[in-house]
Amino acid sequence: MTATLDYIHFILAPQMLNGLALGVSVILVALGLTIIFGLLDVINMSHGEFYAIGAFGALALSWLGVNYWLLIALVPLLMIPVAVLVERHLIRRVYDSADRHTSTLLLTFGLALILEDLLKILFGPNTHRPENPLPGATDLFGIFIPTYRLFLIGIGIAVVLAVAFVTYRTRLGAMVRAASFDANMAGSLGVRVGVVYSGAFAFGVALAGLAGVLLAPIYSVFPTMGHDFILMAFTVVIVGGMGSIWGAVIAGVALTQVQAISSLVISPVWADPIVFAVMVLVLMVRPQGLFGRLGHA
Amino acid sequence: MRDRLMLSMRASHAFMTIFAVGAVLCALWGSATGDSFYLRLGTEALILAGLAMSVELLLGYGGLLSLGQALYFGAGAYVSALVLRETPSFWLAMGAAFGFTLALGIIGGLIANRVRGVYFALITFGMAQVAAKTVYNTRELGGSDGLIGVPQIAVPLGPYSVSAADPVAFFLFVLGFMTLLYLLLAYLLGTPFGRVLTAMKANEKRVPFLGYSIWRARMVAYVVAALVAGVSGALYPMLRGFVSPELMFFETSGDALIMAVIGGLGTLVGAFYGAALITALKSVIGSWTEHHLIVIGALFVAAILFMPKGLIGRIRPRAEAILGGKRAIRAEAQEEHP
Repeated sequence: MTATLDYIHFILAPQMLNGLALGVSVILVALGLTIIFGLLDVINMSHGEFYAIGAFGALALSWLGVNYWLLIALVPLLMIPVAVLVERHLIRRVYDSADRHTSTLLLTFGLALILEDLLKILFGPNTHRPENPLPGATDLFGIFIPTYRLFLIGIGIAVVLAVAFVTYRTRLGAMVRAASFDANMAGSLGVRVGVVYSGAFAFGVALAGLAGVLLAPIYSVFPTMGHDFILMAFTVVIVGGMGSIWGAVIAGVALTQVQAISSLVISPVWADPIVFAVMVLVLMVRPQGLFGRLGHA
Repeated sequence: MRDRLMLSMRASHAFMTIFAVGAVLCALWGSATGDSFYLRLGTEALILAGLAMSVELLLGYGGLLSLGQALYFGAGAYVSALVLRETPSFWLAMGAAFGFTLALGIIGGLIANRVRGVYFALITFGMAQVAAKTVYNTRELGGSDGLIGVPQIAVPLGPYSVSAADPVAFFLFVLGFMTLLYLLLAYLLGTPFGRVLTAMKANEKRVPFLGYSIWRARMVAYVVAALVAGVSGALYPMLRGFVSPELMFFETSGDALIMAVIGGLGTLVGAFYGAALITALKSVIGSWTEHHLIVIGALFVAAILFMPKGLIGRIRPRAEAILGGKRAIRAEAQEEHP
């Protein structure tokens, strides 16, 4: 009996908490993806690169001596104008092409190549390790967990709640959901759909940037760091239902827990196939994902 | 039957003839100067053209965006390498790669065809990613190093024998092989199946009302594309003598997409021109900087924005006009401005 309790206390619980910290980061990336898809009908293949840009932005600004806590707000804000330019001048041009999904996906894929190489040119291909602003561990009911991960879980929950509040409880959120549900009707009722589109894209990109800033102290920072993350984020978005905020949250927590717990039993390198198997199973039963689309539910 | 599809196919055949003649001339030049580096590179471009053709079939004709064709390309390459290391027999390696990618394509098709649209794109992306990671982490398959030491074989063709060690002969052999694949696919697109596939791209909702199964057409297209990618991949270890997990990575699928889009989606022959162009660009840029991605990415974005039909798609209407008279041009104009 005590052996079981000890197992739960010292092995399972810390692993689940670490999984939750990873889950929060995945959710931040997936939230941006799902919002962009839910509103613009665009699969943003360059999302992983925006995440990397966030991390590198934090790195570069911290070299200049900017305080880490300021970066958390500053980097996502700096990414907004970039994202607006990308939406206005690149993505918007192919909205009206015959197959919008395909052409926007290909366009953002091309953009991803450019951004990745830009990062390589600016920062070199090497791996950087920023300093951890919250070193040490915290004793949480006898479980030692790195303080920074606890902070990550806290800020992640705060961001998710804030996004959900704005989307579902404010006038701005109602306008955004209306534009997603029926752009023409929302436009004729005075919603500036073009602005909403740019704003939604910029917001999604800013979330990816935020995830980059937050994760930089835990994971290493390198130009292709987005690649590792984007598959998980896509999986979360598919399982949760494209364009669903709560779907992304629930799927993000569930899948990272599956990953965390399964790596206790088998080699962690098999965690990805297991997560993918869960995704296939979900699609077999519910091809549209667990939850409906933003603005449609 | 004479219609738009046949006419455009005839134009594509003309471009394929030009390409093949140009390639043979290059081979002659190569054998005259005793070059082997560029001939090897050209052979690789042809092999990648095979992969790009599988993208052409799926996306260009069926409207199915697969982000994971490298899965089958890599699977074919690995199976071929494994067989060749045991028994250096060309036909055995090809047969094994064919059988394995057939099975893999059916399994993958059953999974991916559960969903459509962007979900299809993402699930094919995921499948390839997971397969690549699995290979990357499997020590029996060489892990991150891949498999080396694939012997250079001789390809028995009836009374003749082509040695993979001879750059000119192997280049010409691969050219012939890919031309055959091209002709097979062109024939397939002319069959009722090909018509259903193009109809599906035009309007997926109407096709079932005409009594055709969407699922079956998508499944056949997916499996055929997997086979095309698989047998193309099987040639890779014969050329380079090794395989690595990079062959399965998204970069490879992405390259195939770029080649197909820049060459021209829905032209089939665009795969060859795209593959040749991108391989040449990479080689030229690679000789003075390692940052070729930014150039290719910019070119790709520019192609999508300003030339969505690709190189061949851009000039093909003229070829059609020459081949089919002025009527074709009018039909094209009506199609664009109804």
